[in-house]
Amino acid sequence: MAETLRRVLSSGSAAGTGEGNTTEVGPPLLLLGGPGSGKTALLFASALEAAGEGRGPVLFLTRRPLQSLPRGTRAPLEPLRLQKIRFQYPPSTRELLRFLCSAHEARGPVPSLLLLDGLEEYLAEDPGTQEAAYLAALLLDTAAHFSQVGPGGGCGLIVALQTQEGDSGDALQLALLQRYFPAQCWLQPDALGPGEHCLRACLEPGGRGPRAEWWVAFRPDGEMTITPCPHQPSNPSSDKGSSSGGQP
Amino acid sequence: MWSFSVDAYYGPVLHHPRLKFVFGSSAVQALDLVDRQSITLISSPSGRRVYQVLGSSGKTYTCLASCHYCSCPAFAFSVLWKSDSLLCKHLLAVYLSQVTSTCQQLSVSDKQLTDILLTEKTHEA
Repeated sequence: MAETLRRVLSSGSAAGTGEGNTTEVGPPLLLLGGPGSGKTALLFASALEAAGEGRGPVLFLTRRPLQSLPRGTRAPLEPLRLQKIRFQYPPSTRELLRFLCSAHEARGPVPSLLLLDGLEEYLAEDPGTQEAAYLAALLLDTAAHFSQVGPGGGCGLIVALQTQEGDSGDALQLALLQRYFPAQCWLQPDALGPGEHCLRACLEPGGRGPRAEWWVAFRPDGEMTITPCPHQPSNPSSDKGSSSGGQP
Repeated sequence: MWSFSVDAYYGPVLHHPRLKFVFGSSAVQALDLVDRQSITLISSPSGRRVYQVLGSSGKTYTCLASCHYCSCPAFAFSVLWKSDSLLCKHLLAVYLSQVTSTCQQLSVSDKQLTDILLTEKTHEA
């Protein structure tokens, strides 16, 4: 769901009213980064953004309840928005699969955004290639079904996956996942950015529009601020790490 | 790396003389599956859909409608692991039957569709 994430990242900078009223969801997006790189915070910010759009509810799937609600997001933590975010906590891969396979049985308003945090935990249970592909494919299929039967605008999909430094065993799995998710956003530590704990978010929108980068900074109290990077990239930078998954 | 956007593959499928060049031996086998009416589009009252293909061995494989996934071993091996094929013959047969409107149709309940999606994962080689 590249467009929602792009709106979250773009509007983190100065200008007030945001990007206009486009509610196009964009392609499914994979959010990648190491531990503590802000994936959950960005997922939650996307949830708040979508919850304020006046369309369907947001489904937030994660293994464990969030310890605290991330702060400093552009969209306010209004009760009405929070009510539209439905948290589910599938405790195992099997339960997650059951949830996705039965998603069409649910009654009530059709979700406008499907979020999954911690894909790596579910994949760790069942690390085979076909299992990973099936989970990714089912996530896409569930979002596609919601898009089909929902009121309009489609249902977006953002999935967060924790990556580890230098673990080549996961390279095949990551390459496989990248084939299912046309858009990706990488979060990497950046010592050059503002603030002590600063990350660079590189958004590859999967063919729609140029690559773009922002700095995401976290203060010690958890407050998150987002600013665009002063120079936008023309080539993949060297700090992208081993598995940058070059786009064709 | 090739992405799994379904739209990207309608182009080559429609240009028949290029089928064998692009898809190799899968093309002939896929056409055979279409001829034998082996593809069924399963839908439920919810509107969700999935495909099932009766393979030449008599086994039934499940293919998702919205993105590239097939439960057959060839998909896992050639497409996902070795990356030397774009599609297995079952997926190619699904797309051919869409283009030529030759799918069988089957309606099931929402619960039955859930079971079909859940159990297809357990196909072994």
